[in-house]
Amino acid sequence: MAFISKDDSNKSGNAGTNVIIIGFGNKYRSDDGIGIRVIEELGKLNLLRDKNIEVIDGGTSGTDLIFLIKDCSKIVIVDAIDAGQKTGDVVSIKVNDIEEFIKKDCRSLSLHDLNLVDIFKLAKALKMIADISIIGVKPKNIGFGDKLSPEIEKKIPEIISLIKKEIGI
Amino acid sequence: MADNLNIEVAPLPRVEGHGDLVLNVKNKKIEKLIFRIPESPRFFEAMLVGRKYDESSHITSRICGICSVAHTCASIKATEKALGIKPSEQTIKLRKLIYHHENIQSNVLHVYFLAVPDFFGVGSVIPLIETYPEVVNIALRTKKMANDIMRIIGGRAVHPIRTVAGGFTKLPTEEEMIRMKEMLKLCYPDLEKSLEVLKTLDIPDFERKTEYISLSDPVDYALYDGNIKSTDGWEIDDQDYLDNISEKVVQYSTAKHCWTGGNVFMVGALARFNNNYKRLTDNAKRYADELGLKAPCHNTFMNNIAQFVEIVHSVDDSIRLIDEILEKGLDEDKAMVDIKPKAGRGVGVVEAPRGLLIHDYTYNDKGKMEKANLIIPTGMNYANMEEDMNALVPTIINKSEDEIKLACEMLIRAYDPCISCSTHFLNVKLVNK
Repeated sequence: MAFISKDDSNKSGNAGTNVIIIGFGNKYRSDDGIGIRVIEELGKLNLLRDKNIEVIDGGTSGTDLIFLIKDCSKIVIVDAIDAGQKTGDVVSIKVNDIEEFIKKDCRSLSLHDLNLVDIFKLAKALKMIADISIIGVKPKNIGFGDKLSPEIEKKIPEIISLIKKEIGI
Repeated sequence: MADNLNIEVAPLPRVEGHGDLVLNVKNKKIEKLIFRIPESPRFFEAMLVGRKYDESSHITSRICGICSVAHTCASIKATEKALGIKPSEQTIKLRKLIYHHENIQSNVLHVYFLAVPDFFGVGSVIPLIETYPEVVNIALRTKKMANDIMRIIGGRAVHPIRTVAGGFTKLPTEEEMIRMKEMLKLCYPDLEKSLEVLKTLDIPDFERKTEYISLSDPVDYALYDGNIKSTDGWEIDDQDYLDNISEKVVQYSTAKHCWTGGNVFMVGALARFNNNYKRLTDNAKRYADELGLKAPCHNTFMNNIAQFVEIVHSVDDSIRLIDEILEKGLDEDKAMVDIKPKAGRGVGVVEAPRGLLIHDYTYNDKGKMEKANLIIPTGMNYANMEEDMNALVPTIINKSEDEIKLACEMLIRAYDPCISCSTHFLNVKLVNK
């Protein structure tokens, strides 16, 4: 198993990149690492090359998302999401719908530092406008572990299909 | 105010991770006060066993997104010590440089986004956008600057990839070094504006003498390296930490608590400030003076102010480090040193933003991990947090329940606890008996 992540020193999310796909999560917290695993799989695909699309392993540093929102027009976030759906179900949410999900008493989105909802509220209050989608699966297990649950791992192709649909490729 | 209280706070907001605060008061006397953490980092210690020496820092950097450089550096230092590797002076300077920027971005996040809202009487940073938009913009600019510098040096803004045992897999260019210096210089007007805002904060008047432990160095304001020093007068080599710091499992929390000679102690920015005030830049000392922070300070709430003073110091010292590196010139031959696996034990101690962080590794002759012990700063602070609350609550017992709850939350937040290092969830509940 490779533990070495990709160097993204040339990927600052600055102007010039319009579309970003970013995965969040802790890959040593079992299914919480789904976002990172999907990013690793996307990195192996040729179809994203030469399309001005950045694929970023965001790790567990959610606050930095604010800088991407500021500089990009389209962001697709991949994360472990408990939006009230069944374990293993994949959801695709537009950021504007998040408050609606919360009202339905859904558990918070995967928490890394500031939670994602606070970051979206912050971006909105700062009048940062970007088309943001969140795609994720409800985790079965977020205890310590370096493997996804089998039923979560098998959702990776479905998540990648939704990402492709979202960015129009 | 009722004479009896049964307080549980769940979840404690604006703290990294999850835990529980439980406070029971009967006839205005504290019957039970515990800060409970449901899980611990033992998984990472177990996971490291059997791994090769060049995997350790990449695995442990994933323990936390806020202090991934600290875990990386503690890990690298432990490995280098165990394998007898001596990195170049250039490597040490670049590590100190990236280290400053994790400290800046973490302190910015805590001071501006997590702690300041309490002092303005609002529940989060969001309302500040309307009332203090400049504060929020300063925080974002400063954090982005620190992130960008971490990305330039470490190859990634979080979980650095170029920073490895033996040195750096890739060096920044001279142009990037110059650009970083220019970015740093742009911080100063923002720091001045922040100073004016922070001067207006009404910091609670609370004092409790305790022992403060941090790294210390004869020259540097120690963050990356140094001896372990206590305000109680002792100082030891970092390899000998077990002589003075002991871990104990407490019944109500799977995270271990720490003691030194039977005493609770505090680590973090205030501990560093109390031990190392003289090593701050003159500019950072001026900020401390203007904010009324004097060493020794025994007010935990002032930890937030110490964190801000450290931001100033880190900006100043980063410029000095860049000048020194540029003056000598970046040398590719000094980027990495050869590593030959061998059996040995090494301890890596750094100052994570939240305080002393210890990685203790034992490798076999093939360079594979046989044993790992990690002690996180929040774990060291738990017992002191409880003692602080034991001292604070009687002084505010006649206030309303909401005020007591907020004061306890603020006190815990002042430690900037990063419970995500030890667990994923923190819960705090407040219920009347």
